[in-house]
Amino acid sequence: MIVSRVATSTSERLQATFTRPVRLAVGGAGSLLVVAGCLLPWATFFFGFPGKVTLAGFPGGSRLYPLLLVAVAPLLLVAVEGRRRAGLAAAWGVFGITAFNIAAIGFGRDLPLGLLEERGGGGLGAVAIGAWLALAGGALLIAAFASLPSSDEERPFRPGLPAALELLTIALSLGLILFAVVIALEVDETSRFISLIAFATAAGMTLARLNVFAYVTELFDRHRTVTLAAAAIAAVVFPFTQGGNAYWIRVFASIGVFAAAAIGLNVVVGLAGLLDLGYIAFFGVGAYVGALFAGAARTTVHVKLPFLVVVVMGAVIAAIFGVIIGAPTLRLRGDYLAIVTLGFGEIFRILAFNFDWLTRGPNGISGVPDLAIGSYNFGATNEVLGFSLPGFANYYFVELILLAAIILAFTRLNDSRIGRAWIAIREDETAAAAMGINTYRLKMLAFGIGAFMAGAAGTVNAHVTTQVSPDSYGFLESILLLAAVVLGGMGTIGGALLGSAALFIVPEKLRSFQDKRLLLFGIALIVIIRFRPEGIVANRRRKAELHDADPSTGDASGAPPGAPVVGAVAQ
Amino acid sequence: MQQFLQQLVNGVVLGATYGLIALGYTMVYGIIQLINFAHGEIFMVGAFAGLAMYSYVLPESMQGNPFIVLPLVILAAVIVSVTVALLVERYGYRPLRRAPRLAPLITAIGVSIFLQELVRLFYPGARSQVSFPRIIEGPNLELGGVTIARTSLFLLVVALALMVALQTFIRTSRTGKAMRATSQDADTARLMGINTDRIIVLTFALGAALAAVAGVMQGMRFVSIDFRIGFLGGVKAFTAAVLGGIGNITGAMLGGFVLGIVEAMTTQYLLGSAYKDVAAFVVLIAVLVFRPQGLLGERVAVRA
Repeated sequence: MIVSRVATSTSERLQATFTRPVRLAVGGAGSLLVVAGCLLPWATFFFGFPGKVTLAGFPGGSRLYPLLLVAVAPLLLVAVEGRRRAGLAAAWGVFGITAFNIAAIGFGRDLPLGLLEERGGGGLGAVAIGAWLALAGGALLIAAFASLPSSDEERPFRPGLPAALELLTIALSLGLILFAVVIALEVDETSRFISLIAFATAAGMTLARLNVFAYVTELFDRHRTVTLAAAAIAAVVFPFTQGGNAYWIRVFASIGVFAAAAIGLNVVVGLAGLLDLGYIAFFGVGAYVGALFAGAARTTVHVKLPFLVVVVMGAVIAAIFGVIIGAPTLRLRGDYLAIVTLGFGEIFRILAFNFDWLTRGPNGISGVPDLAIGSYNFGATNEVLGFSLPGFANYYFVELILLAAIILAFTRLNDSRIGRAWIAIREDETAAAAMGINTYRLKMLAFGIGAFMAGAAGTVNAHVTTQVSPDSYGFLESILLLAAVVLGGMGTIGGALLGSAALFIVPEKLRSFQDKRLLLFGIALIVIIRFRPEGIVANRRRKAELHDADPSTGDASGAPPGAPVVGAVAQ
Repeated sequence: MQQFLQQLVNGVVLGATYGLIALGYTMVYGIIQLINFAHGEIFMVGAFAGLAMYSYVLPESMQGNPFIVLPLVILAAVIVSVTVALLVERYGYRPLRRAPRLAPLITAIGVSIFLQELVRLFYPGARSQVSFPRIIEGPNLELGGVTIARTSLFLLVVALALMVALQTFIRTSRTGKAMRATSQDADTARLMGINTDRIIVLTFALGAALAAVAGVMQGMRFVSIDFRIGFLGGVKAFTAAVLGGIGNITGAMLGGFVLGIVEAMTTQYLLGSAYKDVAAFVVLIAVLVFRPQGLLGERVAVRA
């Protein structure tokens, strides 16, 4: 808090002293320093530290990120006024990434909490000239941008492209998203992954503050059919590009299940505003139904039903549970629902543990066979048009169909009278009731539909994981799903998808944090709710509502923690 | 019959712990209508702080003397718990006071996970159960065939004393009056010159102190604690608060005792220990269906 206050007053002083030529000079020098620094080695000697930090002339590893960020800086400086916040985001990104890498190179092993695995160490002596140059450059850039007048008028980004180019932009944006995901998947070392995350955050903030995102979202909205078609095609084509390798297909199929459940939860939490802390239980109900009636090796119900019947059955049974839980609690205010659903989630787990005759207790139901519809076995490898598709691709496609169905249901609901009623309830239940909405029935509907979707996703998941046991459906799993929704952005499809992907990939990547991942997860929840309660992909209405009373704070270090607090108290 | 009496006593003792924690939930809820999910973890942190005092600060020569040990252990627990609770209030909840209802709830979950993990990772040996000193030694007391441990008796006495003290404080003191005013209508209270922020902080502090005492007692009674006790303890205490009528101080204590007795009885006569945690949730759901305002609540739950 103190730091940001000082920064504000410093930036005022900077604005007074830096005239335009001075600013341009400082900014230009900063940019050059960063470029030079990134081309020079960052570490004097290192075998262990990842990313070729000792090479000169070639910006390998984390050195690429500041370089990419700094590319926009001169542009923003010259295009001047009104670009202060965007420039600051980029400049802080450069500075932050460099500082982090210096710390990692110098003290990697000794960082507090043992954050960075194995490598780095040897103190600042191990840090080479390049890193210091880049750091200094970053600092100069921060100063240059901070000296811009802070009158930050909202200037919409409207290039006014011809239609064909607009379509191209859509394709490029989608491609960029996919590319980012693939890159994120490929990066192995923790320190590089953290640099990447920092880069993505800084670049994202820069673009957001230039209103580029708003423009792209608007394009997506305007050319909805095209966007959807492109996304669908990309999703369908993806397995064919893998050359028979199942790894990524498996990852994406798992993300798909997770996302399907997250979108179901989004109906409950995002649209109707009901906090469900035991949502995974419905998923679990579906999974148990799916496993028990699929003729699993260790099933206790010796009835094998066709898959399509089982999906519907799992969904319906989950929905029945939803109604049983919802009926008594939805009459009350939302907080009670949170606790009751939490209790229900626990009851589900305890019952699954103890109902040996049905669930086989802690052992769970294992040996769920591959899906089969008719005589078609989903585990088999296929040759399609000369491409070899691993068996897992079949599940991927099942996932895709499920996801598509759930997304379709979500959007249709969202755009309907029911969806509007839900949003009205979420915003103000009393007012909604006064408008003639039967709040109880609609909340039940949301709850039931959410449970239904989770049940359906659960039955499919039983086949994907081939095993169902009570431990997979605990409180933490519920919270993870909730976090995917909240983090991604409540009430949006893109948010749920992005959130699921992020929550699936990030923990995988931060393996060296090992058991500190949960700790970080807790911190992340607190911080995100504090600074970006609307999530990564903001629902426009929700964003307007959340930032209503919050005067925009023109500081790239994020909103200074002090300011909104003071505002809230003063109100 | 003897068994019944024994279970009754067990239930009452158990309920005293629930009641102490429930007070924190109910007071905070009464004042800012927030379910402070992280309150269970405050209770857990208190238990660990007390243990840390005992194992790392007190010299061994003193460890045998309960008259020195007990006050110090409780003091340490209270100080740490209150500090944590105030930090959470200041940096977690206060910035969100005008945000939609979901926001602070999610923050609370984050805080909950964070505190659990903090203890699990950084308290030596806390990855599994940690043994807790009994502190009050001596044989169990027998009364008409009913056994009660000295610790339990002590717990009961302390809990009742604290509850009476709290009740008196809120009923009679000037600050207590300000608390009641704030809970009735915070805006008007502010117009009357009450510093509502201070009242809210005080409420959190009081709740945390009571939870810390409960944490130490729980440790002494079960002779072991682990980082997970906050979750179940919190949910059950919340149930107790709802049972008594959330926002109602007497109700929270009553709810605690009723829930404790119900849990002891169902474990003994109905469901067996595998389902002992189910009882609390079933009670919670039953209360919400049949008497959502709780045993002592007067207002019907607001629909909003």
